[in-house]
Amino acid sequence: MVHLIINGKVAQAEEGEMLLTVIRRQGIEIPALCHHEAVEPFGACRLCTVEITKEEWNGWKNHVTSCLYPVESNLIVNTHSPTVIELRKTLIDLLLARCPNSLKIRQLAEEYGITKTSYEEIPDADNCILCGLCTRICDQMGFDAISTVDRGHGKRVAPPFDEAPPDCVGCLACALNCPTNVIEFTDEGNYRTIWKKQFELITCAKCGKKTITKEFAEVLSESRNIPMSYFEICDECHRKELAQAMGGICSWSREAVS
Amino acid sequence: MKSRFVVTPNLCTGCRTCELACSFAHAIDGKLGKSRITVLNGGMKDLWIPVVCLQCDDPACVKSCLVDALRRNPETGAVELNQEKCVKCMACVAACPFGCSLFDEQHDMVVKCDLCGGDPVCAHFCPSEALSLKPITENQPHRQQMPTSAPSTVK
Amino acid sequence: MRVQTPQDLQNLRRQCLAEQEKFPKRVLVCCGPGCLANGAAKIVEEFRRLLKKKRIKDFSVKALKETGCHGLCQQGPLVVIEPRGIFYTKVKVKHVEEIIERSIRNDEIVTDLLYTDPKTNRTIESYADIDFYSRQHRIALRNLGKISQYSIRDYITRDGYQALAKALTIMTPDQVIEEVTTSGLRGRGGAGFSTGRKWATCRKAEEQPHYVICNGDEGDPGAFMDRAIMEGDPHSVLEGMIICAFAVGSQDGYIYVREEYPLAVQNLQLAVDQANEYGFLGENILGTNFSFNIKISRGGGAFVCGESSALMKSVAGQVGEPRAKYVRSVLKGLFDKPTVLNNVESFANVPVVISEGGKQFATVGTSKSTGTKAFSLVGKVCNTGLIEVPMGTTLREIIYDIGGGIHNDRPFKAVQTGGPSGGCLPESKLDLPVDFDTLTEAGSMMGSGGMIVLDDHTCVVDLAKYFLSFLVEESCGKCIPCREGLYQLHRLAVNISEGTATEEDLEKMEKLSEMIVIGSLCGLGKSGPNPFLSTIRYFRDEYLAHIRDKHCPAGVCRELIRYEVIPEKCDGCMACISTCVVEAITGKKGEPHIIDQDKCDKCGACYAVCNRDAIKVI
Repeated sequence: MVHLIINGKVAQAEEGEMLLTVIRRQGIEIPALCHHEAVEPFGACRLCTVEITKEEWNGWKNHVTSCLYPVESNLIVNTHSPTVIELRKTLIDLLLARCPNSLKIRQLAEEYGITKTSYEEIPDADNCILCGLCTRICDQMGFDAISTVDRGHGKRVAPPFDEAPPDCVGCLACALNCPTNVIEFTDEGNYRTIWKKQFELITCAKCGKKTITKEFAEVLSESRNIPMSYFEICDECHRKELAQAMGGICSWSREAVS
Repeated sequence: MKSRFVVTPNLCTGCRTCELACSFAHAIDGKLGKSRITVLNGGMKDLWIPVVCLQCDDPACVKSCLVDALRRNPETGAVELNQEKCVKCMACVAACPFGCSLFDEQHDMVVKCDLCGGDPVCAHFCPSEALSLKPITENQPHRQQMPTSAPSTVK
Repeated sequence: MRVQTPQDLQNLRRQCLAEQEKFPKRVLVCCGPGCLANGAAKIVEEFRRLLKKKRIKDFSVKALKETGCHGLCQQGPLVVIEPRGIFYTKVKVKHVEEIIERSIRNDEIVTDLLYTDPKTNRTIESYADIDFYSRQHRIALRNLGKISQYSIRDYITRDGYQALAKALTIMTPDQVIEEVTTSGLRGRGGAGFSTGRKWATCRKAEEQPHYVICNGDEGDPGAFMDRAIMEGDPHSVLEGMIICAFAVGSQDGYIYVREEYPLAVQNLQLAVDQANEYGFLGENILGTNFSFNIKISRGGGAFVCGESSALMKSVAGQVGEPRAKYVRSVLKGLFDKPTVLNNVESFANVPVVISEGGKQFATVGTSKSTGTKAFSLVGKVCNTGLIEVPMGTTLREIIYDIGGGIHNDRPFKAVQTGGPSGGCLPESKLDLPVDFDTLTEAGSMMGSGGMIVLDDHTCVVDLAKYFLSFLVEESCGKCIPCREGLYQLHRLAVNISEGTATEEDLEKMEKLSEMIVIGSLCGLGKSGPNPFLSTIRYFRDEYLAHIRDKHCPAGVCRELIRYEVIPEKCDGCMACISTCVVEAITGKKGEPHIIDQDKCDKCGACYAVCNRDAIKVI
């Protein structure tokens, strides 16, 4: 058990926990755009930066990203110090120059009192904030279909050689977890298209509802030993099937009793 | 003294109070959550079956989750979904053979029954005890087969 | 010829020395980066060709050596005749025959090729008597220019691998670490972390295996110290690494060489192969139960891969992006295992530390920065080249006594040290001693050793703009402060150089810089604003001139300058007219020319070509 002070109040933490987890447990909200519990912390957006100090540091302060900083005994943490606030404002201001049309960034900017960027807007920018969540989640799931390419200001997320990624199964985890909804996909008829790749959607054998892609189901079935037949019926029809099956037994036992 | 969640379909009147209770208990910011329990017709007049997660011994949902967001809670025996880890890929929704992993459109998240952490709200409100929380002794198993050779609905 | 015991090594050394004694006269052709670019390879070829043809008594082609950087690149191509140390400068292929006939066959000197001291106007025969050399203290560069860069046997004649033998046979790993700690050796890559402490931490780390990596990424523009050492004296690096591996308990080492140094890779690989052959690498080195192997790992052309955590990812085959180092790489480094990463120059110092002992090593330099430092002294200085001086030597001594002062006697403006992460220091700071801490306090840093001298024709705004554009290009792009912040900082610097910025912009840049420093993930970002911060600190007026007066005092920023002909000085030679690609200059032969300001694109070619001093920059 580790004891530390966050915004003036004592907090308890387990050894090895990151500051951000403990801060959130205290009910304190700080933005952390590149953070997701499904993947390792990344430290790319820097928005979760907090000010830390210790009594024996004689007034010296450090600024660290709380998502990656392990808790320490007697650490004194300030999540909203003037420097931290100014840093967050600067980061959001810079993001606005890159993604002026992103609803999410504009909402964040409003929270911090910024309406327009004070910098030069990047020509031809999309709303990608390069948090890396899409690629990291794709890696975590074992597909590794997309990654970041190029370096510095030209950095972007792309499939290999900007072509349809061979390893993508169309699970949509990348698109659905993008903080600024940049990744496009379409579900039309029997098909799903994402990253210029087309996938066939499984159609429920009973009701015709579309569920996940065939490719995704096949990978799950093979690698996780789940019978492919499970994927052929949608969840709603599965529930109905279960009700029918149990109904059969109940009516049988009712007959047996009566 | 532990307890276990018991579903006795024969007692179900089809009132669906359980669905209401579950929705209310899982409301977020005033908006009702999707009920994790569904009452469906069993194929005959007046035959109602409460369909809810069976907390399987070998859960397909856990196997299907590639980010390890589904785990069994050792205390309650329930398979819980960690919302913060979930990436909404719908693998568990597609994989569960009983359809008990659901997508809540209102809140844009995948949900499943977690026995409310040990004190299920649906059992609390069920007027006919079709859903109940029965105490068991330490040696009694978490789940039990029906005295017939049919799939278990009693736990 | 495997060396199995220390006695074997002594025998081998005697053998190598005896070989050398057979041909006492040696011709050393400098094949360092500068001389190579200046045609040294052709000179070597010519020497070989002619030496084969002629029969010279007591001389063999074996005594012709291609060496590493001798140092005074300004005067290259350099050829040295040992043992007299005759120093021939600006040698061309056509001079080779004369050198062979007069200095090799006979004992004469080709005076035309000697160095002329600009102060006394007299020629100097031996390089040892030239200020540039006599004021240096060469430890890391001790063998450069003295041995063949391809020969392990040459290395052994200069006490090569003696330190390794001492460490392996009469010292324990802990004693080695203690010696390095006593020496006060601090990382020569720029961070200046205590080498001894780093090794000690790795040694204690429980997780296995341990790795040793040499950082040969040297990305700073203008720096070539590490390149010279890797190409010219690769064995010194290997010896340092092997001693380190013994001390920290490692069996596998890597040398990470930047992609742009193919010669360094070649020479290092040759050295590794030779070391393996002779038994200094591989299994049971020198008959002990210590084994160590070195692999060469090439970079992909990214400055950011000089950063330790990015480097380690690159070695592991992943994208070179740094990570937050709240858990240090000495504990979780390559493949997440304890790793010692040291710079090329640091490793080159290690054999000397072990041979002469830490206490002796610490007698050179200052108390907090012991030893020496290699610098690539470049820019507007007379003697550009590779130097090594004791820590604590002042900037003035380096630039004026060794560097020979400013080229063309122009006024000194500033010296840029530490590469893009460093900064500019003005004349008032020339008496500062160069070490790890003093320059940092003044707003710059010693860094890895790049030292660029600037005169009054350098615009600091333009300089800051250049370094910022370099950093924007080289940023890995992972974190917002560096990727977006430096980009915007650069854009604002461009605006200043084009005369479209306001004073508020200057304030904005200062605030943004502060946030970039605080918020960035790694050293590249954290020190990214330095080119701006150090120049605005000492040259604020120059920035204000660009902003308020739309004027570039140094005459560099294109949008703010004009080129004009001075009619009184122009004799109508038409040299500028023929040079001007946009045909902006008109005038008849013999009459003063005129530059049409509307057509002129400020390229400066006319200014460069006019040797009547008849064109001015306003």
